[in-house]
Amino acid sequence: MVKVYTTATCPYCAKVKRFLKSKDVEFEELDIEKDPAAREACKKLTGIDWAVPVTTIDNEHYVIDYDKEALEELLCL
Amino acid sequence: MKERIHKDVVIIGAGMAGLTAALYCGRMNLDTLVLENGLIGGQIANAVAIENYPGFVSVNGGDLIATVQKQAETFGAVIDEFDEIEKVTLKTSPKIIETQEKIYEADAVIIASGMNRRKLPLPEEKKFAGRGVHYCELCDGHAYDGKVIAVAGGGNAAVDAANFLTKYATKLYLIHRSQFRADEVSQKRLRANDKVTIMLQTDIKALRGDKKLKEVEVFDKTTGETKTLAIDGIFVNIGVEPNTKLFKDELTLTASGRIPASEDCRTELAGVFAAGDVREKEVRQLTTAAADGTTAALLAEKYLAKLKVAI
Repeated sequence: MVKVYTTATCPYCAKVKRFLKSKDVEFEELDIEKDPAAREACKKLTGIDWAVPVTTIDNEHYVIDYDKEALEELLCL
Repeated sequence: MKERIHKDVVIIGAGMAGLTAALYCGRMNLDTLVLENGLIGGQIANAVAIENYPGFVSVNGGDLIATVQKQAETFGAVIDEFDEIEKVTLKTSPKIIETQEKIYEADAVIIASGMNRRKLPLPEEKKFAGRGVHYCELCDGHAYDGKVIAVAGGGNAAVDAANFLTKYATKLYLIHRSQFRADEVSQKRLRANDKVTIMLQTDIKALRGDKKLKEVEVFDKTTGETKTLAIDGIFVNIGVEPNTKLFKDELTLTASGRIPASEDCRTELAGVFAAGDVREKEVRQLTTAAADGTTAALLAEKYLAKLKVAI
């Protein structure tokens, strides 16, 4: 399952979510502002204390921000 | 092979100017497509509270733009924010807009591509980007809850960002190389906050830290003094530059990189209009962007009507 680390107010997070929906990609959204465990997991993944949006498919490879090419590569779209 | 699609109007950019143009074009039953490479809403997508747009005491930028987007879509305009433009040919009729996936032939084009945020012009910027250097207070502000924050810039965007970030910061420095350009109301609000130290006529000379930003070195041009400030993060709002790279071979640009067009938004090319901040003009506000979008759409419709008669 694809995971997207977000915050509620981040406009780039909203764009990543719209992009995934436009490609019919199912994903789990994790709000790092509301969920300390998600924040910690995102930090562990990226090495950055606070980064959104972060998209991952395997908790190993990830894309920070909205980067269409990188997202397509990560998700094999 | 890319699919070729005809449109009455292609609008490049989905900020306030582009979406207003789309709303008007849609209401005139023009087959309208809006292409946006960045964020729908452009610069105001990041605005926390807009207090100078008539009709609203205070409105969140994202909420305002979502409403205008809905209005445009309600009247039939289609907005594509994922298919990026690769090339435009505007001197021909129809005009050609080639994206990653399609080739659009448009009888009229409204350029409302707006502005891009400037990055901090320091060699260490890349090293600390996302690790102490940030450009989106709405995205990353919360990470600095209980921390020391700096904001670089002195325009409305910078001062509004600083006012927003005071809710997280224990201490906030506003650092700007010259005098304030922000509205008096926003300046006053910032000055009234005890957490805030305002440093005008001050250059940022260096960023320091190991894996994460820890200090900025600043130079006070008035006193000639160099200081080191211990900070946890800096939010950069040092201005914008016109997003006109796509058009440099098609249109004459001004020295500042904008598109010359008068109040009627007509450019030097028939059927090509420039609206919003990308148009060379003295006043660039959200209200004037909406006004440009309106003008460009109405005059594009007139242009299309004449074109149909000529055919």
